[in-house]
Amino acid sequence: MTREAGTAGNAETPAGRVAALFVYPVKGLSPQRVKTLPVEPGAGVEGDRVFALARPEGRYVKGQRQPLPKDQFFMLARDARLAGLGTHFDAPTNRLTVAVREHEVLSADVSTEEGERAVTAFFGRVLDCDPERPPVLARERDRRFTDVSVVSDGMMNAVSIINMASVRDLERRTGAYVDPLRFRANIYVDGLPAWCERELAGEDLAIGGLRLRGVLATKRCAATEVNPETAERDLPLPRLLHAEYGHIEMGWYAEATGGHGPVFPGDRVVFGAEGDRS
Amino acid sequence: MSGNGGGAGTSLAVRIAGKRRLTSRITEFDLRATEEPLPRFTAGAHINVRNPAGEVRSYSLCNAPSERHRYVIAVAREEEGRGGSKGLTDETECGDSLWISPPRNDFELRPALRYLLIAGGVGITPLKAMYHQLTAQAGEREPAGVRLLYLSRSEADAAYLSELAGAEGVVLHHSGQGRGRLDLWPYLAEPDEDTRIYCCGPPSLIADVRALTMHWRPSLIRFENFAGVAGTDGTSTDFTAVWHPTGERIPVPATETLLGALRAAGIEVASSCSAGTCGTCKLRVHEGFAEHRDLVLSERERRNHLMPCVSRAASETIVVGPRGR
Repeated sequence: MTREAGTAGNAETPAGRVAALFVYPVKGLSPQRVKTLPVEPGAGVEGDRVFALARPEGRYVKGQRQPLPKDQFFMLARDARLAGLGTHFDAPTNRLTVAVREHEVLSADVSTEEGERAVTAFFGRVLDCDPERPPVLARERDRRFTDVSVVSDGMMNAVSIINMASVRDLERRTGAYVDPLRFRANIYVDGLPAWCERELAGEDLAIGGLRLRGVLATKRCAATEVNPETAERDLPLPRLLHAEYGHIEMGWYAEATGGHGPVFPGDRVVFGAEGDRS
Repeated sequence: MSGNGGGAGTSLAVRIAGKRRLTSRITEFDLRATEEPLPRFTAGAHINVRNPAGEVRSYSLCNAPSERHRYVIAVAREEEGRGGSKGLTDETECGDSLWISPPRNDFELRPALRYLLIAGGVGITPLKAMYHQLTAQAGEREPAGVRLLYLSRSEADAAYLSELAGAEGVVLHHSGQGRGRLDLWPYLAEPDEDTRIYCCGPPSLIADVRALTMHWRPSLIRFENFAGVAGTDGTSTDFTAVWHPTGERIPVPATETLLGALRAAGIEVASSCSAGTCGTCKLRVHEGFAEHRDLVLSERERRNHLMPCVSRAASETIVVGPRGR
């Protein structure tokens, strides 16, 4: 594996800046760019993956508190079509809107039974479900429908981070445009050496005023094959990663352990150091 | 699906009984059986046609399926294409014989209360056959049950314009001379569980219709696209092919097709379209897993065959050999 200049191997601790912040209110649906990422120790990212569309034949039932594996839910890895819908959830009004090329095709208040029925009927159609058996809108207080929620509650609340330099390195190696949003991270970081996270994914880090502990490198699945713009499965990312680097990782998870959020764009990202807002 | 033939299989001899310019680019061929009635077809079916240079291309049948004595195809001469349509248009005359495959239908009409047919350019061919079949059966359906949107650059570019202009349920739109593309949204805004959509046209139209129907039930929407696919692009990776008859190991770099690598190693594989549509270069897969990119093999055929002009290996090594009989 080649490394860019100023790598993790140098004496200098790598430092970067937060480039962009996203939440994903509904598992598998559109990213929502946010001006600040509301995240506090022990609580995870507010508003991230708080809903999911559970498979009607699956194990999720309302009130279920046990985490379930991702195959119990509709998701991009199997249901690429979801990427063709522009969805937005407005937390203050509980309103989920869906657009097709800027045309609104659904607007529903998910706090009402009627709104929930409209949402599940809509996605039942889009996902080709039997009209009698639409998906179930899953939501449970203090639960998140992240892929790693089955590991532990701590992991369920972990923040996902992408090193933009690693994405660019993959682009350069493969000659393909790789939209960083394929990786559906909460925090996108610029200015770090490419692939420094391979060695630092287990290290403490500070992002702005928040202290975190790296807990897991993210192994990528077929969800990343789906083009977020066209909803076509057009880039075999896990296979490309394996061919280029001999692993299928991109990005990592970190648990917030101290300090305080929120995280702002431009916040410094420092490994093994106290955070600041310089 | 008709289940007839498939792949190249250009085993039927026909005679060009008529050749007629429909537009500056599009030529209609009236193909007649040399002896017995031609195999039956249904609206949406296509045949593979071998041109004088031996290249095979797929063309939709656009005459009425009730006609048993002929197949009618309309061929757009692609100046930039791989040569199949040029050869057929420029190097044939009335009275010439051609080899064709039996019809095959991957774009078959399924029952519905209402239909929306969306054609772009020469994509009108299968949809014209569908339109005529559906309007002939109109008694079984509500009167407004069939709508055909026919999009072209100009009147002069639109094949079969006089036949379709003014026909019930037909909307014509010409985008040239500043008129711009038709806004498809009014036709697609309300997803209807009783309407089936069939779309045939250039990739840009197919991409538009696909994007604008994301809120529809996907099983109600069918696309036909003979533009073909590519065997090497940003998604390709290296693998090793093993030629089953000899055991020779042939590296296939990301920038080369499996077909190209086999040929470079001196292995002869017949091929034609180089786009995964004609079926000529089909090979048997003995070991390993194929990454199928073709538009021609059925799911059943894919279990142990692949099209090396576009398809690659999903495993590090794949053992392939002639398809056999």
